[in-house]
Amino acid sequence: MSERVLMVIAGLLATLVIGLAIFWQPAMPERPLPKTVLPVAGDFTLQSAVGPVSLKDYQGKVVLIYFGYTYCPDVCPTSLAATAQGLALLTPEELGKVAMIFISVDPERDTPARLKDYAEFFHPGIVGVTGTPDKVAEVAKRYGVFYARQKVDTAGGGYVVDHSSDTYVVSPDGKLIGKIAHATAPDRVAAEIRKHLNQP
Amino acid sequence: MKQLSLLAAGLMFSAGVLAAAADQISVQEPYVRLAPPNAPATGAFMVIKNNGDKDVKVVKADNPASKVTELHTHLNEGGVMKMRPVPAIEIKAKGEAVLKPGGLHVMMIDLKAAMKEGDVVPITLTFDDGSSKQVDAKIVRPMPAAMPMEHKK
Repeated sequence: MSERVLMVIAGLLATLVIGLAIFWQPAMPERPLPKTVLPVAGDFTLQSAVGPVSLKDYQGKVVLIYFGYTYCPDVCPTSLAATAQGLALLTPEELGKVAMIFISVDPERDTPARLKDYAEFFHPGIVGVTGTPDKVAEVAKRYGVFYARQKVDTAGGGYVVDHSSDTYVVSPDGKLIGKIAHATAPDRVAAEIRKHLNQP
Repeated sequence: MKQLSLLAAGLMFSAGVLAAAADQISVQEPYVRLAPPNAPATGAFMVIKNNGDKDVKVVKADNPASKVTELHTHLNEGGVMKMRPVPAIEIKAKGEAVLKPGGLHVMMIDLKAAMKEGDVVPITLTFDDGSSKQVDAKIVRPMPAAMPMEHKK
């Protein structure tokens, strides 16, 4: 092929690319990620060992929310340990702008006092809360959380609770802005939090 | 010693046919995750290597620290993590099975007493030919203590 033909082809390609750039405007999300529509989520008030806790109490902070339960044999400890390690990577100044709430989907067995001990075992900054079964179900539904009891004879109390194991990220103005998948590595947890801390 | 020489002889003359499954298994990095306060259960994790040329299955695990010991795995069904007992954990010939959080693990259910970091739990693995192996797993905190860390990238 002669150089001239190549030049012509290159020219045509360049025209095509520029043309596409100008005229073809598909609705692309900013990041090439599958766009998941996040649920409305919103505010809630549940009980902690030191009284009622609402999401709006943490206005101005990035809030992480995890739904689980203290009898959780392996899933919750795996996820909470990874998240706690992520929090440990933040500077004290960054950590001051982050809060974390652990919501029990097993209010029958999880008292606020029990939740406090459990949450603080992973990180002193995690607040454990729960409420009546109806109340917890209502909050979980708004966050798109699934949970269901499964009868397991060998489990303490005779049942386990299967549940969504994502960690929900709420913006300083109270909107659900992201999810951190189960057992995401600590450095990625820290990076995800920082991304939202540095929003204007 | 007698057993050792017998084993050596067995290996030399019959390419390991006489060797029990337990003899071709080595276990690396065993640990028990320190359970949160009041937690009824915790997991033990390790890498089980099969150095032999026969597939081996772990069919049972036992330990003195909990009333029940089960082999478990995790299933991820649409973001919902489910933990379910499995009848056995297979280790292919010359292969390994990795027991780690979020995957296969030895589940210690109904702990008899509060755990202490640094204690050692002897875990007995039983293989499909009836042979068994004891693994000493240290109890480890699942995360570093929360302290400021210099994190240089």
